[in-house]
Amino acid sequence: MIISMKDIVKRYRALTALDHLSLNLHKGETLGLLGPNGAGKTTAIRVLTGLTNSDAGEIQVFGKKFSAASKRKIGVVPQDLAVYETLSAKENLEYFGRLYGVHGVELKRRSGEILDVLGLSDVAKKAPRKFSGGMKRRLNIGCAIMHRPELLILDEPTVGIDPQSRNHILDFVAEISRQGTTVLYTSHYMEEVERLCSRVCIMDAGQVIADGTVEEIAGKAIFEEVINLEVKEIGPSLPESIKKVQGVSRCEVSGGKLAVISRVGSGNIARILELAAPYTILRASAERATLEDAFLALTGKKLRDSGGEIA
Amino acid sequence: MRSFFAIFTASFKYCWRSPVNVAVLTIFPIVIIFVLGNALSGYMSPDYDFETIAVAATAERDSELGAFLLGDEVGQFIAVQFTDENLALELLDSGEVSIIISENNGNVVVTRPQVAGLEAAIAASVIDSYVQINAAMQIATANLDNMAELAELLQIINADLSIEQAPLGNRVPGALDYYAVTMLVMILLFAGLNGLELFRKNIFSTTGERLLIAPVSKPVLIGGVLASATVSSYLQGMATFLFSWLVYGVYWGERIPLVLLTLFGVTLFSQALAIFVLLILGNANLAMGVMQAVIWTMTFVAGGYVKIDFGAAEKVFQFSPNSLAHTVIFGAVYGGNETKMAADLTLLFVYAAICFVGAFILGRRRLA
Repeated sequence: MIISMKDIVKRYRALTALDHLSLNLHKGETLGLLGPNGAGKTTAIRVLTGLTNSDAGEIQVFGKKFSAASKRKIGVVPQDLAVYETLSAKENLEYFGRLYGVHGVELKRRSGEILDVLGLSDVAKKAPRKFSGGMKRRLNIGCAIMHRPELLILDEPTVGIDPQSRNHILDFVAEISRQGTTVLYTSHYMEEVERLCSRVCIMDAGQVIADGTVEEIAGKAIFEEVINLEVKEIGPSLPESIKKVQGVSRCEVSGGKLAVISRVGSGNIARILELAAPYTILRASAERATLEDAFLALTGKKLRDSGGEIA
Repeated sequence: MRSFFAIFTASFKYCWRSPVNVAVLTIFPIVIIFVLGNALSGYMSPDYDFETIAVAATAERDSELGAFLLGDEVGQFIAVQFTDENLALELLDSGEVSIIISENNGNVVVTRPQVAGLEAAIAASVIDSYVQINAAMQIATANLDNMAELAELLQIINADLSIEQAPLGNRVPGALDYYAVTMLVMILLFAGLNGLELFRKNIFSTTGERLLIAPVSKPVLIGGVLASATVSSYLQGMATFLFSWLVYGVYWGERIPLVLLTLFGVTLFSQALAIFVLLILGNANLAMGVMQAVIWTMTFVAGGYVKIDFGAAEKVFQFSPNSLAHTVIFGAVYGGNETKMAADLTLLFVYAAICFVGAFILGRRRLA
């Protein structure tokens, strides 16, 4: 077990940021920690890395209590940029490498390697204040992996950057994960977590409310699916016939299109197609349940909103 | 030790590679000394314009003193109005004249108002020079066989010469000499703000959190930043010192090592104070405001801007870090009391040590 957090409580006056949070991370896993703003993701990372003390609970990192020795095995990519704006990209990398005990030839070799992988070789001698947001984010990640950490914690590393840089970062994290590094990845973006993570924890109000693979969570949380139909000519009896099918909650008509909301696993797709067949079906599809839908179903909140409730 | 040097080097580069920072660290101090030194030079400059000083004289125009006052050389400094005693007193009361010059049984008497200004002092000095010239003339024409008479004349001269006593030894500091010291001390204290920015970046920002997560002990982290801030600020002080010396021609005396040691003490104190205040308040912006207020106040009570008589409070204010530094530096340049200088310099380093220890204790607790 790389991380074991049991019943962690953290309060800031009246606010309970972590409410008996329990979280485990196994070796080689890539865990996605999802949650709206204020869910407690960053607080969980602060407690985990020793930046903030918890009020209750027990934390073990690499099977032991958090210590200076365990610090050497962890790389942290903070949510905000944490580099020196007036030092060059190379100097930033080498500085953080030195603090983690990387020296001499290995330091030079490693910084060159990371600059290459992150696509920053051309600007190695330039100061990050002249960089784009994406380049700064890449450097931010580079500083955390100079010492080849066994555990890499990334706190929303792609916030506010262009799609190209985002893809670059996601590919890089995926590669690190493939090489065996254990990764804890927090994000607002469902598609990032779906793409990168073997396991997902959904957090809300300081608690983990769902834990499992993407498919498991979607399966547990999604109860309805949407079946879309496009027919040549809709007769007045077709929507009425579909509404009478057991498990169908709604049938909405718009032009020649029908959107049928039906319970997942009811086998209604075949029945509905059968009913629509006499009207000449032009197109038919069923929308797959996504993690975003699961999140919405579990928390009642849109993930990228600031905790805004869905009516 | 490797981590210490890594932190020291990174902080140093971070500080000196910011164009704004470099401008503030180097150009600002030089400009402030120049501007203040020239703007306030009227208070201290020996080149004061004497021409407009009006005086009243009750002596006769055709007397020896009257002839002296009407002479061309004196005429370029003072404008004499011959009048009777009553009118002269009225003119003095109304401030229309600075002094009254009269004769009493062959002695020259200068009457000043209750609150005498700089012009009164200058006019009195002109008259004093007349008395001395007169005495010198008497010596020159005296019968040197009579040694007792000569000794009496010399006594008169010595007495007259003691009217104006030069401060601290034989050399009087000019405006730039004075402000170079007080402003340099103030600038080095303000350099604490530069240190504060380094501490903010390295401890109280996201980058600081990254350092706190790294396997570096708190004393090494604080020590590395502190050393970097101290060296940066001292270099700033040295640049200002050399510029004032070589370009402005400020007189720094012959005990340069002692002056530099004092400036180092001020630097050390300001950096230690900065991190101490930051760790107490835990907020860089608040600490910045508090530091500014403290430094302006300390400079003010030490007479850094303009020399002010604070009366009884002076005894307390002389223990302000600025006052201690001023005493040692002026003492080193113009000749001061060695024991007092040693005590004040020691106290300055004790202040720095107290802030250092406080910062390390607070650092361990706050950053735990």
